[in-house]
Formats: sequence, structure tokens, C-alpha cells
Amino acid sequence: MSKAKNFLTLSRIIDAAPLVIFLGMLIYIGFNAPNFMKFSTMQLVLNQSVPVVVVCLGLSIVVMAGGDGVLSGGIDLSIPATAVLSAGIIAQQLAQADAPLWLAIVLAFAAAAIVGLINGLMVTRIGMTPLLTSLATFVAVVGVSKLVTSSRRINVDDPFIVFLRDGNIFGISAGVFITLILVLMFYFLIHRTKWGINMQAVGGSRDAAEMSGINPSYYQMWAFVLAALTGFLASFFILARGSGSSPGTEDNLMLEMVLATFLGAAFSPRRVVTLWGAVLGAVLVAALSIGFKTMGVNVFWTGLIKGSLILVVVALGALSVKVKA
Amino acid sequence: MSIKSLLGRYGFLFIIAGFILFFASFNPVFLQGGNLMNIVAGSAILLIVALGMTLIVATGGIDLSVGIALDFGAAFAVVAMKEYGINWYGAALIGIGGGSIVGLLNAFLTVGLNISPFLATLGTFFIGSSVQRIFTNGGGPISYRGMPQEFRDLAVGEVYGIPTEIVIAGVICLIYFIVLERSIIGRRIHAIGMQRSAAIVAGLKVNKYLIWSFVAASMTVAVGGLIAAANIRMFTPLSGFSYLLDAIAAVFIGAALHPRGRPNVLGTLVAVLFLGIVTNGLNLMGLNFNVKGAMSGIILVSALALAVAQSKQR
Repeated sequence: MSKAKNFLTLSRIIDAAPLVIFLGMLIYIGFNAPNFMKFSTMQLVLNQSVPVVVVCLGLSIVVMAGGDGVLSGGIDLSIPATAVLSAGIIAQQLAQADAPLWLAIVLAFAAAAIVGLINGLMVTRIGMTPLLTSLATFVAVVGVSKLVTSSRRINVDDPFIVFLRDGNIFGISAGVFITLILVLMFYFLIHRTKWGINMQAVGGSRDAAEMSGINPSYYQMWAFVLAALTGFLASFFILARGSGSSPGTEDNLMLEMVLATFLGAAFSPRRVVTLWGAVLGAVLVAALSIGFKTMGVNVFWTGLIKGSLILVVVALGALSVKVKA
Repeated sequence: MSIKSLLGRYGFLFIIAGFILFFASFNPVFLQGGNLMNIVAGSAILLIVALGMTLIVATGGIDLSVGIALDFGAAFAVVAMKEYGINWYGAALIGIGGGSIVGLLNAFLTVGLNISPFLATLGTFFIGSSVQRIFTNGGGPISYRGMPQEFRDLAVGEVYGIPTEIVIAGVICLIYFIVLERSIIGRRIHAIGMQRSAAIVAGLKVNKYLIWSFVAASMTVAVGGLIAAANIRMFTPLSGFSYLLDAIAAVFIGAALHPRGRPNVLGTLVAVLFLGIVTNGLNLMGLNFNVKGAMSGIILVSALALAVAQSKQR
């Protein structure tokens, strides 16, 4: 058989299907909502996706270091809660305690680092599964952040936060520009340093990594701390997007983070979680959300559509593994 | 028996005893019979939800959509009575049937489409939440003040002096114990959860067991929805979500108490009562709402960590 004949095999069609479905939906929206294909809408999409993109970086790292299985492998659901806690601390310090920006940032950083350390210690020292650990810390951290903000909305008008919302760097909005740099930094860390390669080895096969002299716990620990710090970084964009901190942001952020990261896995050829996949997933989810809004789809339906989408895409992923086997 | 193995086996019970002493010293009301009954009655719905979760975790999965099954149970029953004038037990059966839709969808996704339980039930959660929003036009409660007294008695009635909800939860708990821990069916379910490929090789009809487990779990959780609806005489959309994390925590604390670390009915029961004790005790301390939330979250994390650490001591 010639190569050309093999080009359209069943497995290739299924491989490409998730991305095709997504692009097809975006094109459909583009035709039905005249304003969607404008530059300003695209910029809005990127701006909206920024906090999700940043927490997705953290989740990807934890999944890469812990392995792919959702139940037994690496997962960190607590990142959005950490982000909301950190946003709450910054807002509370700036608006109510009249602290300088640097102090607020230091406190938020410390809080996030502590959450990451607790996650890491519970997983590596006690041997709890990451899913269970991060579900529990999610609840605890949300509880603490409500204590910090008294469950109230706190407005922030600090010039730095306002700059993240309205400012421009080289003609791109500041938030998007900074996020792009963050993504490149994480990419470099994971794919271009020895540390990153070792960490991926731990996730690929813990036993093999240990036999070749890598300490898996060390890398898993750092993965959780880095993940919590992406929560800290995301908190600035949460503050910028909402012009302050408001309680209850974490639920939606958590669902979107998981959706985007595992959608990203469905886009990748080997069906594993990747950095770029997660970023692409986050942007596409934001594009769909905004697209539905500009089309005038009832908000109540978006959960149904998003849920069905993730199921279709993930089912295709499972199918492609089957077809290849 | 050395101290270490003693702690490994019963350490968590000491922690529960410690909490009871602490709360009792703060407020003597805590230990009074009426309050202890409150704790048990207040834990009934969580116990029912956690038992459904125990079954799914025993098969090696997880169910993030238990809240949806609970909501559907309440919604179908309330609407059946209010809109169609169906009598109370008919409505209860319809509610349980409504819950089973959630289980059927989960079974279709995990067994039929081969999606991992975490993502499949997350998708069910998205879809189920959205369906409730669409159906109630945004999430407004459906109240039915005039519901039949028999239905209302599911939550406020008494059987021989014991609150009905405790009786219902107790009966379900007993059935789960017999089926999951003392029958060949339970043995097979645990086998599937421990090593699915071995169970397939051994000739078990794994898919059949998985499908029935998802359906049975969602029907069980729907009973919890009936009690919740009877208690406040209305269906509140999206209210089931609040049980999810507690149910998962209860199952895994319970599993940590088991000699071989398996999810089990008695462990779940102990863990649910522990969570009930903590909630009730913190309430009686009269703390600020936000302080209470933070405290119970931190206690949850510490309890889980201690339970798992204890199980590793053996």
C-alpha cells in the first residue's frame, strides 16, 4: 500500500476529530455572530482566558510529575482555591489594612507556598493520593480565604492591578503579554532543562526514574509547590479581571482548569497532558464561552454544551487509544 | 500489642474521642441525648450519599455527580406530586427513578464510551447542573407547601420514636453492609476495584457489575434527595453539590480505617459520624460563620492526613 492511501486512516480521522470539532464550532459561531470575528473580540477572549491559562500551567506540571491516571496519578484541584486565597489576601491588605503592595504580595506568596508545601508533604510523606489531598485542601483553603475576606467582595484600584487590566505592552494587552512570557518560561523549565526532563521522567514511570537515580518525591514535591505558585500568579489576573476579589470565583475556575487541561490532552497526539495543549484548551474554552454569549445563547445552556463537549472529546480520545491498539 | 500497632488500628477512634471530649468541655449540651440524636439525624443524608460513593469507589471509580443524583431525586418527586398530583409513594419511586437517569448516563459514559470515571462524572455534573438551570429558569427553587404528610414524614416523622430519616439511612446502611461486605456480589465488586484485569480474566462480567453499581449508587443517593426535599418542602436546584466533598472525604477516611485500605461500609459510617460530630460541635461553640468554615476545612484536611498516616503505620 502506498503512503498516500494510508493518509486518511480511521485512527487519523479520530486523532484530528477533537480539534476539528472545536474549530468547526468556532467557525459556526463566527458565521452566526457577526461581531465574533473582530480583533477586539479575539483580544477579549485572550484577556478572559489569562487566569485559566496560568492555573493550567500548574496543573500540567503536577500531572506531568505524577502520571496521567486521574485517580492515582498527579492532579491538583486546589490551585484555583490558592489563587482565590492569594487574591483575597492581596485585596484585603491593599484595601482594608492599607499595606504597601510589596507586603501584600509577600504575604500572598507565603500563603500560596504553604498550601503547595502542605499538598506536597501530604502526597510524598504521608502517601495520600493527590486527588484526595487536593480536594481536601481545596475545601480548607476556600474556608481560610473566606475568613480573610469575611466572604465579602473587596474592590482594588491599585495602579499595578489596573495596569494588568487596561495597560498595553508592545500593543498587546499587559495581562496577555505577561502570560505569554510565563508560558514560555514554564516551557523552557519543563522541556529545556535537566530538571524538567527528570520531572517528566518521574511522571512517565516512577519506578524507572527511581532506578536511574532520580528521587521521585523531590520532583513531586516541587511540582505541587510550583502549582500553588501558579495559583499565586493567577491571583493578580483574577484581581485585574474582576477589579477586586469576590468570593466563589474558585468553583468555576476549577471546572474550567480541569476542562481545559484534559481537553488539551485530547488534542495531543499521544493523548497526554501537555503544556501547549492546556494553553490551547484554555483559550478555546474561553472563545467558546464568549462565542456563545455573542450569539445570544442562553447562559443556562453553556454548562450543558461545555459538559457534552468535554465528553465527546474525551470519548474520542479513548476511542483512538482503542483503534491504535 | 505494641503501642504502635494499637495506634495503627484504633488511632482514629482516639481522635474522635478527643474531639468529643473537647466539644463536651466547651458546651455540656453537646453530650445530651437530644443533641446526640441531632448529630445522627443530621448525618443521615450525608451517610446515604457517602454509601453510594462507597460503592463506586469500591469498583475502582469515583462519582463527582452524586449531587446531581440527589437533586434529580428531589426534583422528580416534588414535581410529580405538585404538577401531576401523584401520591407520596408513587412520587418517591419516580424520584428514585429520576436519580437512576444519572447513574445510567454515567454507566453509558464509563462502560459504553470507555471514559475514565473522573471525567465522565465531571461531564455528567456539568450537564446535570445545566439541565437544572434550564428547567428552573435559572435556579429558582420549586416549593410545594401542600405536600402529603406521608412524604413530609420521610424527614420529620418518627418510627417507634426514632426519626424516620435515621431509620431509612440505617436500613440502607444495613443493606449496603450485607451486599458489599458479606455477599458474593460485594466480593466481586471489590475484586473489580482492586484489579480489574484480573477480574476479567477470572470470568467476571465486569461491565454488568459496573453498570449496576452506577445505577444502584445513583438510586441510593436519590433517596437522600427525597429526604432533603421532604425536610424543607421544596426542591432547591444545585443543592446536592454541597455533599460531594464530604462524601468523598468520608469514603476515604473510612478506607484508611480498613485493615487493607479498602473503602468499606463500616468505615464510611464512622467517618460520616465523625464529620457530623465536628459540624455539630463547631455549631455549638457559637463561632462566627467564616471562622467555622475555615476550622471545619482544616479539621477535614488534618483528619484525612491522620487517617491515611495511621493506615500506613500497620
